[in-house]
Amino acid sequence: MARLTQENVERAREIISRYPASRSALLPLLYLAQEQDGWIDDSAMEHIGDLLDLTPAQVLGTCSFYTMFKRQPVGRHLVSVCTNIACLLNGGYELLEHAEARLGVVVDETTPDGEFTLEEVECLADCDRAPCLQVNYRFFGNVTHDDFDRLVDDLRAGRLAETVPAHGVLNREQPPPVSVRRADAPHGAGD
Amino acid sequence: MGYFEGFRVTFEQLFRPRVTIQYPEEKRPKALRFHGRHVLNKYEDGMEKCIGCELCAGVCPARCIHVRGLDNPPDAPVSPGERYGFVYEINYLRCIHCDLCVEACPTEAITESKLFEFSFSNRQDAIYTKDELLVADDGQPKHLPWEDWREGEDLHTSAWVRATAPNGDADYEGRVAWSAELGYGVRPPEAGQLGDDDAGAPIDDITVEQVAEGGHH
Amino acid sequence: MTEQTETKKDTVTVTVDGKTFEAAPGELVIAAAERHGIYIPRFCWHPRMKPVGMCRMCLVEIEGVRGLPPACTTPVAEGMVVDTRTPVVKKAQDGVLEFLLINHPLDCPVCDRGGECPLQDQTFSFGPGESRFVEEKRHFEKPIAISELVALDRERCIQCARCTRFADEVAGDPLISFVDRGDHTQVLTFPDDPFTSYFSGNTVQICPVGALTASPYRFKARPWDLDQVESTCSTCAVGCRVNLQSSQNDLVRMLGVDSEPVNHSWLCDKGRFGYQAVEHDGRVTHPLVRKGDELIEASWSEAYAAAAKGLADVRDLHGAGAIAFLGGARGTNEDAYAWAKLAKGVLATDSVDCQLDDGLPAAAVLGLPRATIDDACRAKAVLLLGPDLKEELPVLYLRLREAVVDGGVAVVELGPQSTGMTRHAKTTLLYRPGEAVEVARALTSGRDPMPDAGGVRGEELAAAAGILGRAGEGVVVVLGRPSVAESGRTVAEAAAVIAAAWPQARFLPALRRGNVMGALDMGLAPGVLPGRVGLDAGREWFSQEWGVLPEEPGLDAAGIVGAAAEGRVQALVLLGADPINDFPDRTLARRALAGAGFVVAVDTFLTDSSREADVVLPAAMYGEKAGTTTNIEGRVTRVNQKVTAPGTVRSDWIIAAELAQRLGGDLGFDSTAAVWAEIARLAPSHVGLTADVLGRRENRDGVVAPYEGEGPPRHEAPVEQIEAAAAVHQGETLPSEAVAGAPEHAAVDEPSDDDDPAGAGRPPLLTFAVGDAGSTAAPPAVDAYALRLVAGRRLYDNGVTVRHSAHLAGLAPSPRLRANPYDLDRLGLGTGDRVRVTSSRTTLTLEVAADTGIPRGSVALPFNLPGEGAADLIDGTQPVTDLRVETTN
Repeated sequence: MARLTQENVERAREIISRYPASRSALLPLLYLAQEQDGWIDDSAMEHIGDLLDLTPAQVLGTCSFYTMFKRQPVGRHLVSVCTNIACLLNGGYELLEHAEARLGVVVDETTPDGEFTLEEVECLADCDRAPCLQVNYRFFGNVTHDDFDRLVDDLRAGRLAETVPAHGVLNREQPPPVSVRRADAPHGAGD
Repeated sequence: MGYFEGFRVTFEQLFRPRVTIQYPEEKRPKALRFHGRHVLNKYEDGMEKCIGCELCAGVCPARCIHVRGLDNPPDAPVSPGERYGFVYEINYLRCIHCDLCVEACPTEAITESKLFEFSFSNRQDAIYTKDELLVADDGQPKHLPWEDWREGEDLHTSAWVRATAPNGDADYEGRVAWSAELGYGVRPPEAGQLGDDDAGAPIDDITVEQVAEGGHH
Repeated sequence: MTEQTETKKDTVTVTVDGKTFEAAPGELVIAAAERHGIYIPRFCWHPRMKPVGMCRMCLVEIEGVRGLPPACTTPVAEGMVVDTRTPVVKKAQDGVLEFLLINHPLDCPVCDRGGECPLQDQTFSFGPGESRFVEEKRHFEKPIAISELVALDRERCIQCARCTRFADEVAGDPLISFVDRGDHTQVLTFPDDPFTSYFSGNTVQICPVGALTASPYRFKARPWDLDQVESTCSTCAVGCRVNLQSSQNDLVRMLGVDSEPVNHSWLCDKGRFGYQAVEHDGRVTHPLVRKGDELIEASWSEAYAAAAKGLADVRDLHGAGAIAFLGGARGTNEDAYAWAKLAKGVLATDSVDCQLDDGLPAAAVLGLPRATIDDACRAKAVLLLGPDLKEELPVLYLRLREAVVDGGVAVVELGPQSTGMTRHAKTTLLYRPGEAVEVARALTSGRDPMPDAGGVRGEELAAAAGILGRAGEGVVVVLGRPSVAESGRTVAEAAAVIAAAWPQARFLPALRRGNVMGALDMGLAPGVLPGRVGLDAGREWFSQEWGVLPEEPGLDAAGIVGAAAEGRVQALVLLGADPINDFPDRTLARRALAGAGFVVAVDTFLTDSSREADVVLPAAMYGEKAGTTTNIEGRVTRVNQKVTAPGTVRSDWIIAAELAQRLGGDLGFDSTAAVWAEIARLAPSHVGLTADVLGRRENRDGVVAPYEGEGPPRHEAPVEQIEAAAAVHQGETLPSEAVAGAPEHAAVDEPSDDDDPAGAGRPPLLTFAVGDAGSTAAPPAVDAYALRLVAGRRLYDNGVTVRHSAHLAGLAPSPRLRANPYDLDRLGLGTGDRVRVTSSRTTLTLEVAADTGIPRGSVALPFNLPGEGAADLIDGTQPVTDLRVETTN
């Protein structure tokens, strides 16, 4: 199910053709798979391995190194609460505990309705607005507990759909520029 | 006069305390560190302490110990951890009771009792198997029919020295200390084994309870 | 001054810990120091892999360099001054070890590595002695099986990446990888994709902690109760050097020894774990003699008497030619020599074959100019006309793979199906089974444009010829049997064609049985005598010593089995041979065993064939006897005894000597040493290669026969012969007198070496030329409705070693018929469908699988897997086997 779709295989081949060594296309293809399903499951990794002539173990090694590649299903909104030093001092842990209570899940869990996945992250580089969090990698700074409750309500009601697209469609909203010259290359040239 | 000089020696001996005893009816108390027949200990929950690591066999200068390890059955583990002593045999025709096996044992599984009076009528019987060495369910060494156990010989069978802290307690790292254990067969530490406080304390003054405290604080 | 500048070019002067020495430019500090006795602690660095500098254990101080560079990634430079013992270095080592031990569980007493663990040893030698870490360590599930053979304990892992690098760099099977990051980093396989590399055992050997342990060795022994001896693995014919380790008279482990010319310390898993067969309970431990329908345990004297009587009766009634010997390629050279002397020198029969028609004709193997493994790895180009090396000679595959990947050696593969080498080959020419000769002719013809041949397109041939060059200069041909389902003679003939066209090409035989090369050298083949001489050429030389010799050249394995089936061979002696499972044509093999009136099996287990024997003589296995063995290069090395054989089992040479005595002969030796002394005195290719020479320190890696002593090389191009052969080839005429089953040997007189009085009268070594392989009937025309069978082998098969090794037996795959997707489509089939496969022999029902590595018109079915398979289908009387494939419904 979670192998790449035919359309995405075409895209994958095009991506592969941009690199002199096909293995270099591993990260873009993992993004592609995550974009397709919101997360990367084992069969997607196997499929990518096939496309790049890598073993699934090699794909897994790379995929699991990066925390932004999800190997478990993720809800529509990925809430990442920072608990690194600046946020910690400004109540990051309290915010995280509040989020757990408000959403009714613990860290790394998804709400039963599939709306929210909560995660604890390291510094998001938004320290001047600590405590901060991200929803689908969009920043929200100086988040009070009330702010958080409002944010959850707004997200659930779809009032922020404009600024916070659903998880997994990040790239689809802004497709990578396709080089005109390379687009003519036969599919799988770098395979 | 000359022969009176000879009798003087005899007469002097008449009034000295007698050292011969009526062995085997009567027995002398054995030294505290007397090395007798081995026992294989268990934990209080009945698990065997032996993990089949073969360190005892490796250190044995008489090459009299034969150990083979096996994977612990996951449903009914014999010892804590992955491995247990599947075969454990000591050949008492070879054993010189040097106690190096006891020192080498990382789990205090093998220790010695004070029993030395056991005999065999063939070589095969001289090889004690695991079944015979293992303590009974009450933690007491098994009294086998051909062994002449006397009172006290099966007491205090546990080991003497622990050099380091197996529990990872950094305070005890590298310090020679007595680690008391729960259960049967604990014998008191000797002078100096509890650290500086009890330096020179006579052995008999320290109770088992103190040992337990001293070892673990 | 000029001298200095001159030396500067090829060496650099470095000083390590005050010791000044010369090192090769580019050599790493850690390696250079070690060569001069200065050990720098390390975990991740391995001399046979590329450096990564991961563990930080080898930090050293280098004058003028800031910080502490790792010695394993720093190449030496002129005037470099290195210190490995300063307080700063010591502090760094303490720190690194303390870090490495933070998460290490220290469960050394239950760890298989405990007692021989680099982490333990180096902690004692270089470590801080105590840790400040009192927090909880990280925890993982204790050992998880990452394959049937390897268990992984992630708690013990120190992330040196030796295993993952080995899997990727050396084995080319990157099935394990670091997963997750930071303090969660762990080595793992992909879920449900186990570490099924044929080389997985090496990761256990190089793991510097007990993270990877071998399931067959798990808790079997501890290092201090192991006893070891160096030997040579005889699972296949590569001849890897090993340490055989035993505990309480049980073989428990084999470790690879770094032999520069051969195995570079690596072993395959079959070699590493195959020792389990030696310890198997099902060994034949006492002689058995048939009484009625049953084999009854008997004493040795009864068994010898029964065997000798049976053989003598046949000899007296039907002549010596009615006695035949099959097998003998699994023992030592001494065993093979003893059997050859018994067969040829006592019984005077030449129908002896150590191969079971699954290899190549002896004349080709012995007579072609030989290359070593190193020659192949340094060749300009390698032409691979042989089996799937990864499956049959795995460590040769590793060496060639390394030569391709790191050395840039060009490999041209010529075979009926894709193999493990295909992905490393510059080009792969897939020919139609049975048509290797045509392809070889076209490839060496130098014509432009090249014609299509044997199912290979002309352009492909031209491309391959372009890689290989014109005269075969610098080309090494790795020559073996690509498929049991096509005649070995065609392959030998193809080799002869190549040898004739390219006089400078050299050949590396790729035969698989443990000591097949030694058995051939010792004369266990028709038409040859020990020492690589032909029967007629060596007649005079040997008859002085042996007395009698066979009058006529005898039959090869195919001939013997065929003759036995027809009752012409009356007595069959099986030397560890199991024709029912190993002869290509099972139907014929069964008939042969039934047809031979009297069968003696000298065997280690009761196989399908030895069960049919009248007398079974139990033979000692590997590790139970000493002697010498010979690998594919002709390299003679020592094998040593480690354990005592069970029961009353005896070495082959003793059995042969005892039988000889009862047959009215005397082999004339009473020890292995005496057998070797005779070989070193008599066998022309081995003259002078005494136990003394073999025992020399500089010969630890063995000596390549023909032994040249101090004199000039003997095997260098008998030029006239090759030119003559080339002339024959260009005329494209084949000698018509060559008869099937009785290969004729074009023995050419070499100019005798007048300077060497010991060589006077010594017969010349065999050579091989076009036509010597015997008749090579052209395969029948391609039938559009039939598919032609290709039968290669798998590493894990139904052989005695695998079947009796508890941990290997389950690894043999079930037979599947693989075909090109085009052919499957044509038949309306898909992977997983069951089909009826019919040959002239029988019909089987098999599962099919699509495989683009099989050319159109062919189907592949591995040989000798458990159950019914290729041997039932193959018709040994035909040059190829055509199959009809139909759906079952």
